[in-house]
Amino acid sequence: MRPLDLYEKDASKKVTIYFEGKALEAYEGEKLPVALLANGIYWITTSLQGRKRGAFTFGPLPVIVNGVKNINGRKTLVKDGMRIERQNYGEFQETVEIDESKGVLREVVDVAIIGGGIAGIGATLELQEYLTVALIEERGWLGGLMSLKSTQQEGFEEEPKKVIKELTSQFNDNVNVFKGTIALGVFDEGEYFLVPVVKKDQLIEIMAKRVVLATGAVENILLFENNEFPGVFRLDFALEVINKWGVAPGKRVAVVGRKPERITPELEKCNIEYIVVPNPKRVEGEEKVERLIDTNGNVYEVDAVIVSDYRLPDINPITQAGGKLKFKWGYYVPVLDEQNRIRDGIYVAGSANGIKPHYANYLEGKLVGAYILREFGYEATPAVYREKLEEYEPEPMPMQRIEFKDMNLEDVQICGCDVNLKKVDDVVKKGITDLQIVKRLTHLAMGFCQGRFCLFNGALLVSQRTGIDMAKIDLPVARPPLKNVRVKALAKGE
Amino acid sequence: MKGDIVIIGGGITGIALAHELARRGEDVVVLEKRFIGSGSTFRCGTGIRQQFNDEANVQVMKRSVELWKKYSEEYGFPFKQTGYLFLLYSEEEINQFKENISIQNRFGVPTRLITPEEAKEIVPLLDVSEVMAASWNPTDGKADPFHATTAFALHAQEMGAKIYEYTEVKDIIIEKGEIKGVKTNKGIIKTGIVINATNAWAKLINAMAKVPIRIPIEPYKHQAIITQPIKKNTINPMVISFRYKDSYLTQTDHGGIIGGVGYEVGPTYDLSPSYTFLREVTAYLSKIVPAIRELLILRTWAGYYAKTPDSNPAIGRINEIDEYYIAAGFSGHGFMMAPAVAEMLSDLITKGKTSLPIEWYDPYRFERGELRQKALQMG
Repeated sequence: MRPLDLYEKDASKKVTIYFEGKALEAYEGEKLPVALLANGIYWITTSLQGRKRGAFTFGPLPVIVNGVKNINGRKTLVKDGMRIERQNYGEFQETVEIDESKGVLREVVDVAIIGGGIAGIGATLELQEYLTVALIEERGWLGGLMSLKSTQQEGFEEEPKKVIKELTSQFNDNVNVFKGTIALGVFDEGEYFLVPVVKKDQLIEIMAKRVVLATGAVENILLFENNEFPGVFRLDFALEVINKWGVAPGKRVAVVGRKPERITPELEKCNIEYIVVPNPKRVEGEEKVERLIDTNGNVYEVDAVIVSDYRLPDINPITQAGGKLKFKWGYYVPVLDEQNRIRDGIYVAGSANGIKPHYANYLEGKLVGAYILREFGYEATPAVYREKLEEYEPEPMPMQRIEFKDMNLEDVQICGCDVNLKKVDDVVKKGITDLQIVKRLTHLAMGFCQGRFCLFNGALLVSQRTGIDMAKIDLPVARPPLKNVRVKALAKGE
Repeated sequence: MKGDIVIIGGGITGIALAHELARRGEDVVVLEKRFIGSGSTFRCGTGIRQQFNDEANVQVMKRSVELWKKYSEEYGFPFKQTGYLFLLYSEEEINQFKENISIQNRFGVPTRLITPEEAKEIVPLLDVSEVMAASWNPTDGKADPFHATTAFALHAQEMGAKIYEYTEVKDIIIEKGEIKGVKTNKGIIKTGIVINATNAWAKLINAMAKVPIRIPIEPYKHQAIITQPIKKNTINPMVISFRYKDSYLTQTDHGGIIGGVGYEVGPTYDLSPSYTFLREVTAYLSKIVPAIRELLILRTWAGYYAKTPDSNPAIGRINEIDEYYIAAGFSGHGFMMAPAVAEMLSDLITKGKTSLPIEWYDPYRFERGELRQKALQMG
């Protein structure tokens, strides 16, 4: 077993890969950063300003694979003999092979559902009897965050993996599932909505009469020094390495953030030693986290830090599709009409609307499915789902205070693209409170994640420094593409 | 509130003008409905070029570049003379550019025709397999529009200009052909001189002033793209290809490749980026620089080109309304012109004349049916 393997892997799939020239044990089909983690390697790439970065929090992960630069490490599966090297963000492949072979594919459906989590699955199940559905999921599997958990979830009778398997096995011929596929946005073409998607550089134009945004939530990013250092895990990544890949985040981990209970049962189940530190100030180490220091000066020797905080709806797909936002429950949510629409034809379901249990998100998926069925003239009973859903009030997120005192703000990363808290704070302290201007002056929200992980903290900072109510802060809207896509996927001819 | 001169519009044109008037000791007020630089300036593609195809624009841009140089040094905002490179693919294009170059050379702009090999030396990533020659002027350049506007604003204010943000003009008060004041959402400002520097919104302001002549300026949606940042100085000049749908591309200070194509939608005030643009811009830019194919697209966005029928702005005095001036309709190349336009219009306001060829931009030319030769427009 490799140092961080939680159990023995299938020996028949054993392969050898090379990282910076060193031979490592890996398993066919494993994600590259997971294979490296199992071997105790956390530092994989280096930001433009020379900051060491790992794979499990915000920021991109460009690596050199078999001599080809700027490959997305997170989307790379290991193969026997693969040679991987570190690179700096700015390095790119100067000579390219032009492959014009793939044309554009087209798919016409009644409903395009973006997001294959439990809400997207619920909507699909409701719709599939009468309507055709394209279910689009960025990950390589369905079930979203729920499928990464190992404990039984309220409202469902079995453990998450079984529930997802059982539900998705009910999909019929009306459902076309696109896994490992990113949606670039929703474009109103008048007669229909165009949802262009990309799967392994293949462009597919999905034309749909209705769209469901089941696009979920993102983890809140905690602000502490070196919060993007190799060895810091966003909660969804920690769950993924443990439950999807059977690899521990570390031998001994610290859990920080206001919701440690989201991860501690999983750590206990796998016998991973952990300590809960509610007030992190700084992480330190040479190539990876070696210690965590709290605001009282206590030092904890750990080799990973898991940020287990609240989740926030991912507002980018909402605003790109033309939706408006409001501030409610401590975060920004879409403004909906009485049928969960941000505008005619575009529905929202699941944690994109507010943070609630998986079962409630499932019900909400069914609910919007029922609304759409009725729109198409079929019999459906949205009222039944609506009534059940009303038992679940979304979970509020308490307003957090950013602790500026005693923190070296230059070491606190607000955004994955080398934007530190000091840079943003300096601009806000000059009296600039419009996030559009803050964005332009600091590059906040102009990088790889389009603000998905940093706009909220930007708004929080403005609010805290100026006293402006979060509800009055105008968030810049997301522009296509919703997720980073390579030029070549779009540049191909007809 | 009062001001001797009120400029409506706090984009690069309005701000550069306020800066120049304040420098001359004039009492000037800028009214901006959002924040300074928030309109097309905020969405603009950074380029500054002298390679035009008529005498007036070449002269004006020659002067503008001198001013860009002067003020960027004095105020410490980045303006880099990294050149403009027009890729040419046919004898016809070459002949046309030879003519342009001779006009440019006549006014001291050192453009020259270079070989594809020389072009590749300037931008090693270029695909020059179909390029026959290139038009190259190393003194053209680029600047960050928002930083430049902010710098001009700061210094204009230091010299006494007043800039009111989030102040929207609702009406212009005119009595017996004379301007008395400007009505805003925050009250009335007394003034005798108004300058319409609102570009895409110019027709709305002209309507408030009841401008009696037809000045056709319409907003068109143009879009741009930015890729992931790559190592600095990979693509220094602005590279232009008319063959590939008027595309342009260069690298920003931050490292991303920024670019656009001549895909125009409008007239419209809509600014939502479109899928058609994404397809076109990726196809054309990667024909010019194939390595772009492997880069990630981070974002697309849209802004206005405030277009006139001959792609030249309307700059001058409207005689029927005492005293109303216009500097609008820059048709996609207003950012680069701003410092010279500020000088030209300030001359006109304070001295009644200017040495720059302002008559080329005569607001009355549309009414008279004297359209100019179409100015070279990119994107």
